[in-house]
Amino acid sequence: MVTNRDDFVIAIRSAFLKKGTQQRFSLISLILVSIFLLALEKVDFKVIKNLRSGINEVVYRLSYVVSLPENLLKTNFQTISDHFSHYDNYQEMNNELNELKSKDLTKKIVELENKKLKKLIDDFFIVENEIFAKVLIDKNSPFLRSIVLNKGSKDNMKLGMAVIDGIYLIGKIVEVNYSTSRVLLLSDLNAKIPVTLEPGDFQAIMSGTGENNGVLQYSKDTLFKQNEKDINVYTSGSGGLFKSGIPIGIIKRQNDNSTNQKYVDFYVDFTQLKYVKVTSFLKEGQLTQAKEKAEIDKIDKEIGEIKKDKENIKILLEQKKIASEIRIKIENENQELKKRMINLTKELTLANDKIKKQKINEEELKFLELNLIYGEKCKKNFYNNLYKVGTTEYRACVLNKGPQRNKKNEITIQ
Amino acid sequence: MIDLNNNFLIKNLSSWGPMIILFISVLNEFDFNYLGFNFFSFNFSYILIFFWSLKKITHFGYGMVCVAGVINDVVLGLPIGISSLCFVLLCVATSYLRSITLRPNIIKDWFFFLVSISLVNTISYLILSVFFSINLNYFDLVINTTFTFTVYFIFAYFFNIYHKIFMGNLNA
Repeated sequence: MVTNRDDFVIAIRSAFLKKGTQQRFSLISLILVSIFLLALEKVDFKVIKNLRSGINEVVYRLSYVVSLPENLLKTNFQTISDHFSHYDNYQEMNNELNELKSKDLTKKIVELENKKLKKLIDDFFIVENEIFAKVLIDKNSPFLRSIVLNKGSKDNMKLGMAVIDGIYLIGKIVEVNYSTSRVLLLSDLNAKIPVTLEPGDFQAIMSGTGENNGVLQYSKDTLFKQNEKDINVYTSGSGGLFKSGIPIGIIKRQNDNSTNQKYVDFYVDFTQLKYVKVTSFLKEGQLTQAKEKAEIDKIDKEIGEIKKDKENIKILLEQKKIASEIRIKIENENQELKKRMINLTKELTLANDKIKKQKINEEELKFLELNLIYGEKCKKNFYNNLYKVGTTEYRACVLNKGPQRNKKNEITIQ
Repeated sequence: MIDLNNNFLIKNLSSWGPMIILFISVLNEFDFNYLGFNFFSFNFSYILIFFWSLKKITHFGYGMVCVAGVINDVVLGLPIGISSLCFVLLCVATSYLRSITLRPNIIKDWFFFLVSISLVNTISYLILSVFFSINLNYFDLVINTTFTFTVYFIFAYFFNIYHKIFMGNLNA
C-alpha cells in the first residue's frame, strides 16, 4: 500500500474527482446531490413536497410490483398454515364465541352508560371520516417501522389520522401522497402515544421499541406493585389526536421479569396486516340543548329497555328453573307410583290364585265329605247300573247326594 | 462447459446482474436488515455495492447506485438522500482502496470494508439523530454493522464465482 502523505492526498482526490471510463458522474458530484436532497428534506418547501410525493408514488407502485412474487409465496404459506390449524382455530373460536355471547348483554349496558357519561362531560368523539385501505408495502427495517397504504390525499387522507385494525390501534398517518400514504406503526421507536392503564386508571406514555412490542415511559411503579393481574393498555385521548378507549395491547404479569421496563404486547401482529381502517375523530361539537337532551333521553330509553329485557330474561330464567324443578319432582312421584302399581298388581294376582286354590280345596273337601255319606249310593256294583268311581258322573252323583236327586234334577232341567 | 463469455446476450445481462439485484433488494419488501431474529441482521446493499464497485464492472454506475439509495429511502421512509449518501460514500471508499492497492487481497478488502461501513453508519446515525431527530437503536446498528462485516466474506465468495463464470478473469 502507498503510505506517503502526498500519495494519500492524490488517492483521495482521485477517489472523489476521477470519473473513470465507465462512469458518467464523479463521486463528489453525487455526494453533493445527496447532501442537497437531504437539505431539501429538512427545508419545508411545497414544490419539494410535491416532488417527493411524486417520487413516492412511483417507487411505492414499483416496490409493490417487485414484491408480488414474494408476497404470493407468503400468502400461500399462510394459507397452508391456516389450513392445518383450521380445526383447532374452529374449536377455539367456538369456545370464545360462547363466552362472548354471555358477556354481550352486560357489555351493551356498560357501553351505553359510558356513552351517556361521556356526552355529559363533553368528551364524546364521533367518527368524522373512515377510509378502508390496503397495505401496499410492509417493509420492515430495524430502524423504522412503517407501512404504506394505497389511499392518499385524493381519498381524503390527512396527516395524523388513526390507523386501526379491527378495533385495535396500530399507528398513525405520517406522510400523505396523492394516492398513497405512510403509517408510522406503534412499534416504531419514534411513536409516542399517551395511554391509560387499566385496572387502576393510570396515565403513561407508550413508545415503540423497534421490535414487535411497546414500552411504557413515565409510568408509576406503584401500579405494578399493587396489581397482580394483566394490565390492559388503551389510548387516553390526551392531546386530542385519538379518542380515548381504543385498545392497544396488554402488559402480561407472567412475562414481568421485574425489570424497570414494562413491555406492552400489541393485540395486533404488525407483520400480518393486509387491510386497515383509517379514521379521524371529531369532538361532538355544539349540539343544541334540545338535540342533546333528546339524544340522552334516547340513550336512557335504550338503557331502560335493555334493563327491562334483562329483568324479564332473569324472571323467565327463574320461572324456567322452578318449572323444571317441579317437573323433576312430578316425574319422580310418577315413577314411584308406577312401581307401587306394579307391586299391587303382583299382589292381586297372588291373592286371586290363592282364592282359586281355596275354592278348589273347599269343593274337594265337600266332595270327600259327601262321598263318605253318599258314595255307596252312587257306586256301580253287581246289582245296580250306576257310576264308576272317579268319573265325572260319579262326582256329580255324590255332590247331588245320590242318583235320585240327580235324576230329579235332570228331569227338572228337561 | 458452455463458454458463457462468448454469448453476447448472457454477457450483457450478467453485467447488469449486480445492478438489477441491487434494485430488487431496495425495492423488495424482504430485507436482510430485518430478518425477524433478535440479534442477526445485515445490510445486503452495502456488501453488494462495496464488492461490485471495487470490481469496477461495466454496468455498475455511481449514478445508478445513487438512484438506488433514493429508492431505498423512499421505501424505508427515511429522509431522502441519506441512503444515497451512504452508498456513494461506500463507492468513494472502494475507489480510494482501488487507487492505493497494487495487489488485491480479499482479507485486506474485508477489513477495509469494516472501516468503511463503520464510517458510513456513523455518518448516517449522526445525520439522522442530529438533523432529523430520528431515534435509532444504537445497539441494533452495531449488531448490523458487525454481521454485515462478518457475512461479507461469504457473499464475496459467491460474487467471485459469479464474476468468474459470467465476466471472465477476476482481475480483469
